[in-house]
Parts: sequence; C-alpha cells; structure tokens
Amino acid sequence: MVRAMQLLIQTVIDGLLVGGLYVAISIGFSLAFGILDVVDFAVGEWVVLGGFAGVAAHTWLGIDPIVFLPAVFVIFALIGSLVAPLIYRVRTSRYARPALMALAFTFGIAMLARGTMLTTVGFDPRTVQTSLVGGTLTIGGVHMPWLRLAGFLFAIVTTALFMGFLFFTRTGLAVRAAAQNKRNAGLMGIDVKRLSTIVYAIYAGLTAMAGVLIGAIYTFTAQVGPQYSLLAFFVVVMAGLGSIGGVLVAGLFLGMLQALVTVYVGADYTLAIVFGVLFVVLLVSPQGVLRRGLAA
Amino acid sequence: MSAVEVKDLRRSFGGIKAVAGVSFEVQPAEIVGIIGPNGSGKSTLFSLLSGTIAPTSGTIRLDGRDVTRMPAYRIARMGLGRTFQIPTPFTNMTVRENLLAAAVESDWANARSRADEVLEALEITHVADDLAGTLSGGQLRLLEFGRVQMRDAETILLDEVTAGVNPRLRQIILARVRALQEKGKTFLIIEHDMELVRSVCERIIVMDAGEIVFEGSFEEVASNEVVIDAYLGRPAA
Amino acid sequence: MTSRTAKPGRPAALVVLPLIVLALVFGTLPMWTDDYWIRVWTGVAMWAGLAASWNIIGGYAGYISFGHVAFFGIGAYATAILMQPGYDWNFFLTLPVGAVIAGLFALIVGWPTLRLRGAYFAIATWALAEALAQIINTLDFTGGSFGLSTPGNPSTWFFYYAMLIATILIYLLTFLLFERSRFGYKVKAVRDNEAAAQSLGINTTAVKLQAFMLSAALPAVLGGINAYWITFINPQSVLSGEVTDQMVVMTLIGGLGHLWGPALGAFVLYLASTWLGAEYGGSTSYIAMIGALLAIIILFLPDGLIGLAPRARGMKLVRKMLGLSGAPGGGGAGTAPPGGRP
Ligand SMILES: Nc1ncnc2c1ncn2[C@@H]1O[C@H](COP(=O)(O)OP(=O)(O)OP(=O)(O)O)[C@@H](O)[C@H]1O
Ligand SMILES: [Mg+2]
Repeated sequence: MVRAMQLLIQTVIDGLLVGGLYVAISIGFSLAFGILDVVDFAVGEWVVLGGFAGVAAHTWLGIDPIVFLPAVFVIFALIGSLVAPLIYRVRTSRYARPALMALAFTFGIAMLARGTMLTTVGFDPRTVQTSLVGGTLTIGGVHMPWLRLAGFLFAIVTTALFMGFLFFTRTGLAVRAAAQNKRNAGLMGIDVKRLSTIVYAIYAGLTAMAGVLIGAIYTFTAQVGPQYSLLAFFVVVMAGLGSIGGVLVAGLFLGMLQALVTVYVGADYTLAIVFGVLFVVLLVSPQGVLRRGLAA
Repeated sequence: MSAVEVKDLRRSFGGIKAVAGVSFEVQPAEIVGIIGPNGSGKSTLFSLLSGTIAPTSGTIRLDGRDVTRMPAYRIARMGLGRTFQIPTPFTNMTVRENLLAAAVESDWANARSRADEVLEALEITHVADDLAGTLSGGQLRLLEFGRVQMRDAETILLDEVTAGVNPRLRQIILARVRALQEKGKTFLIIEHDMELVRSVCERIIVMDAGEIVFEGSFEEVASNEVVIDAYLGRPAA
Repeated sequence: MTSRTAKPGRPAALVVLPLIVLALVFGTLPMWTDDYWIRVWTGVAMWAGLAASWNIIGGYAGYISFGHVAFFGIGAYATAILMQPGYDWNFFLTLPVGAVIAGLFALIVGWPTLRLRGAYFAIATWALAEALAQIINTLDFTGGSFGLSTPGNPSTWFFYYAMLIATILIYLLTFLLFERSRFGYKVKAVRDNEAAAQSLGINTTAVKLQAFMLSAALPAVLGGINAYWITFINPQSVLSGEVTDQMVVMTLIGGLGHLWGPALGAFVLYLASTWLGAEYGGSTSYIAMIGALLAIIILFLPDGLIGLAPRARGMKLVRKMLGLSGAPGGGGAGTAPPGGRP
C-alpha cells in the first residue's frame, strides 16, 4: 500500500519534470503559430537538431553541452531567421491555397532536416554527455535526478522570460497584436514580416536548447523528430492553438499522462493513448481545454 | 403567415452588441429595405437570418417554421438565399462553374441553361470561362447576385448588391428583383443608395446601433427626425 | 481554334488516338519488357493511384492529410491478415474489406476535425498514422514489429495488371465524381468558400467527410494489392511516414487539385527515385531530397509541373472538342492558370 503510494508519487513527479520540457518545446511553437498562422511541422526536428548540436559540442569541441546552450540558441535563432521569411512568403502569397501550401512547406523543411541528419549520422542512438549536472536528489523516498530538475528549471525560466517578453515589452505587445489580427496590425504600422522572423528565430533557438536537455535525459536518434512534433501538437491543441498560458498546463499534463501510462499500462501504448486523448479533446472542445486565445 | 418573423434577436461580439433586440415581420412577396449607419448591425442581422452565425438569443421563423440555430445549409434548403456584402466567389472555379455550384442543391437538371440565362442577363457572358478570382469588384457583385438567382430561393436577402455596379446594370438588377417579386419571392434589401431604396422598397426598416429605430414607408422615413439625425443627415446650412 | 465548325472526325481522333496508343503500350507492356521494368511500372501505377487518392482530400477538398499512409497500411494489413492460413480468404475479396475499414477510420478522424481549420486536420491525421504504427507494433494478430507474410505469389504481370487496373479505376472515379458531377461542384465550392457554400444549401461537413472517406478507401485497395505483391509486410514498410511524404510530394510536383497532376508527379518522381536508388543505393538522402524538392516546388512552382503546360488554352480546346463544356465556344478570352500570381 505504502509502496503503491510511493510509486504513484514518484510517477507523478517524473511526469511533471518531463512535462516541463514539453512546455519548453511547445511554447515558442505556439507563439510562432500565433503570428505566422502556420503549424510548423518541423518543431520536432528542431529538438533533434538541438540534441545533435549538444553531441557535437561534447565530441568535437570538447565543451560541456550545458555551457554550450547559449551558443545553441544563437546558432538556431540564426537558422530560424533564414527559414521564417520563406514561410512568411508562402503564407502570404497569392497562391490558390496559401495556408495549405505553408503547411506543406514546413513539412518539406522537416523532411529535409530529418533526411540530412539520417544521411550524416545514421540511425545510431545518441545521448548528450554532460558532467556538470549529475546525481539524484532524494526527498522522502522520491528520486529526482538533478539533470531532470535542471531541465524543469530551464523550462520554467524560459516560460517566464517569454511571458515577460510578450507582456512587458513593446515588441511583445506588437506580437500579440499581430497574432490577433494581421491586417489591423499591418495598418497600425507593425511590420508583421519582421516580427514573424523574430518570433520564429526565438522559437527555433529555444526549442533547440530544449533539445540539448532532452538529449541529455533520453537517448535519441535522427528519426525521433516526428514523435516530438506530435507531443508539441498535443500540447498546443490541448491548450488551444495560439494560447500561451494554456501551454503551461497542457505540457505538464502531457508529461504526467505519459508517465502514468508508461508505469501503469505499458510504454508501447503511450502514443495511442496520447492520440486518444487528443481525439476526445478535438471532439468536445476544439478551442482547447482552456478555451483561451492569445489575448488572454 | 409571414415569410420572415424575427423576435427579440440579439448577437454580440465580445462587448459589441451588433444586434441588440430586433423584432420584425416580412410578408410574402414584400420588398423590405434595411438602412442604417455603417456598423449598425445590418449585415450581422442577415448572417443571423441565414444561419451563418448563431444568435445569442431570440427566435427566427421562416414561413412559420422555427429555424433558430439551424445550420446554414438547412436554412438555405428551406428556401432562403442570400448574398454577402463582401463577395464570396469560389476563386478557383470559373464564373460559369460558380453559377452551377449555386444550383447543386436546387434545380440541377436545368442548371446549365439557367446559368447561360443569368450570364446573359447580367452581361458577364464574356468572362464566363474566366476564373472568378480574376473578376473586378463590380463583376464580383454581379456574380454574387447571379448565384443567388440560381438558387431559386423563396426569400432572398441582398446585402448592398448594387454597390460599385454601373447604373445601367443596376437597373437590370432592380428589374430582376421586381420580376421575381411578381413570382411571389420575398426580398430583404440592405442599401445605402436612397434613390434605389425609394424606387423598389415598399417598406423600410431603419437600424442604428443594433436596434430598429424606425419602420415605415419611404416618405415617412425620409421625413423622420430620428432617421435624419442618425443616418440621412441634414443638408448643410 | 478560330474555326468552330470542326470536322467531326478530327477532334475525336486527336483525343482517342493517344488514348488507344497509351492503352496498347501499357496493356501489352509485360509482353515486351523484362521483369525489372514490369516491376518499375507497377510501382509507377501504384504511386499514381496513391497520389491521386491523396489529391482528393488535399487538392479537391483543400484539407491536407499528413497521415495517409495509415489507410494504405490498413489495406495492407486487412489483406495480409485475411489471407493468413486459417482464414484463407480469396485475395480479391480482401480488398473491399480494407477499403471499408479505412473509410471508417477516416470517418472517425474526420468527423471532429473537418469542422475545424485545416491545421487541426493535418495534425490529427498525422497523429493517427503515428499511433496506428505503434499499436500495430504491439498487437499479436498483426505480427507485431516482425510483420506478416502473405501466402503464394502470382507472377509479376498479375500485379502489374492489378495495380494498373486499380489505378485506372481510381482516375475514372475521380474524373467522373470531381470533374463531371454535382458532387465535384460541391466539394470545390466548400474548398473555395465554406460560408458561401453553406448559404447555397451545401452541407459542408458532410461533403468534406464523404471526400475524405473516399480519399481514404482508395489507397487501402492499393495497399492490399501491395501487401500481396511484396509478400511480406511490417509497420516499417507499409506504415512508414515516407509513404505519406511521397504522396504529398508527388501530388504537389505534378499539380495540386488537377486531375492529371498526381499521375505526372508519380511518373517523374518514381522513375527519378528508381534511378537514384540504382545509382546511389541510399534511401536517407532521398528523404532529404524530396523534402528540399517539396520546399522548392512550393516556393517557385506552386501549380506543379502541370502549371507549366499552356493549360488554360489547352484544356479549353480539349473540352470543346469533346463537346463537354456545354458552351458553344466562348469568346476565347485568355484564362490565367489558377494560383498564378498577378
Ligand atoms: N465577426 C465579427 N466579429 C466581431 N465583430 C463583428 C463581427 N461582425 C460584425 N461585427 C461588429 O458588429 C457591428 C455591426 O456590424 P455589421 O457588419 O452588421 O454592420 P452593417 O450595418 O452591415 O455596416 P455597413 O453598412 O458598414 O455594412 C460592427 O461594430 C462590427 O464591428
Ligand atoms: Mg454591412
């Protein structure tokens, strides 16, 4: 009885810690959706690319990946700022169906990234090696690896920074306005294209940083991108596409759900159950469980 | 039995009460004009009637049947046709295909010949095989009007269908409306052109800030103080 | 083009002759080529059919499915399972079963998501495919991650004709339903402007669902034939995301929403990939390549290869000759290709 209780608590804590990382990979993604009005199917690839950047830092440069995090942010923000104008161009083009074309475009970018990674590093599983964070914190019989705690902390800090950016800076206000109504924002002199680029760059850098941490916690291969995309989709659909606050709740919920399913049902069923929950959410409450848009 | 019967209809968007408690009736084969300042809720009223948006409260009856909150396609099948103020062409289809698409749920057997007639009457035969996305603003309005004609609806809502259309074609549209009225069709027409309203509408509803502020014949409306203040304006000096 | 009093013999010959030549070439193919090329052309036929099925929901209905491999896989598994010793179904009877199951899955996924914006649908279909692959990996009667083998294997020409006929039927169906019937007008109206379509009495959700179910049932048939053909299936082969990737890319390369776009795309890309596979052997670089190709096509050739053809005039001419257009010739005003940027 006591052990069952302990297992439950341990599972929930594990889940929450992982959930933090899901928040980190979904929050920029959600905002990028809000402003570009395109679901970026490459989100999971940014995670994996980040993971490989961490591996490269360790093996090639001999730098600890945790120390390398800021550099990862800068590199991927730069790459993101090259991709964003292209997505923007497709999305705002006079093509027959710009929304569809933009979706397919990010899908193509994801394939390009995945194929390139598979070609260069193959199918071997990797982990990001760090010597800075190790060991386990144990409180009342519940074990919390410091690495996971660090990941969680990272998620909390980035979320807070992001919220601060959105609600307390002028650019953040412009972003929120543009996410609400692109035409009006344009009329008010907001350069939506520039904003999209900024937001997408931040999102790519942030997600890649989260990828480094995820790669330190779990082994990964060049193929797992789609799975992380799926998790990010789950979070933003639960939250309501474009909602930032909801991402926090939905991300933690996903982490817990996954941990509980893994322990009590079996790891093989996680995707199926995640999909099942997603389906029910779409059926009952397509605006997201929290029913709040970006404005909230 | 009234063709249209609306009771205490309301709809708000966030804080804006676009339609704030509207009640009226329209008899079969009547042509009723709706006028009012920009943003007074006229188009929103049409969207409520056609089921394009759902009301916050109130009831709508069409030929005596309650259609409140019914999906738009079912209301349309019950005999309601409408045009949109901002034209809604099927941009990747040709003009002719746009007209044919309008008949898929009505008289499909004769759709082709009827489409030809409509093209002819609205003088857009020369662009019949062009994509609707390439039309000019005025042509789009004509197409909007053409589509509603293909529907063969009993009650027709026209939202500023003559705006930006040249005077001669405007006369053709009006003639069409009168001809259809002879056949027993009912019309609700939103218009800002008072001359046009005078010439075709038998009764006029004046809206302001989501409410009906006056109802009556053209002469009554034109001389009403409230209407003059809210909408028509006074001649300078 | 100026003379409208075309001699009755000429237009018919212009359209029918190429068709006869094509029918002769493809109909007799197994008689004058070797097994290798028969297999290549079987592949072209299959992908042309798959891309055409995807085009129904993506091109005609305007919703992007990123999980179409699920339906292909459902068909493959339906055939493989029913043909296992113990069930021993006739191969042909297994095909409709797969199609019906795929259609039902489409109904379940499409019902909540086709009322929403396209992004939700894209996500949901994608999630379906990922989840399905994982479930089948764990189930017993599907052979888990190991897979299933199908009994017996007829000759290469059997599969060639099976694929060819299935794909021709798919094109015929697409042509009749989407280019020649009321249903086609409904689907395109819904795609182009949903509010307007509703105001015309079109039940938009039902129309979208019907299109999606059809678009899902057809690849299941091809999946069934494929399962029998390759004699051994597992989640890595018939539920791989790359199958969806190819359907999307082929359709877009050929021309989204055009009847012949998918066939053209499948022809070009499948032959190119066969050639590349033979030359370089690697398949991971192929993923990168088609990804890049997809991005480039969208940026620079959104109407696909078919958009390069002098389509507007060409199609008008063909239509006129077939007497399908109903219009007695029109004014010959130039029509811009759809999606052409002004
Ligand atoms: N979808 C919507 N979302 C939010 N507000 C809306 C929406 N549709 C209409 N409104 C608001 O409702 C009010 C009434 O708009 P409506 O379009 O009905 O006016 P109208 O009388 O047709 O004006 P006009 O003569 O300019 O066409 C306006 O304040 C408008 O901003
Ligand atoms: Mg209006």
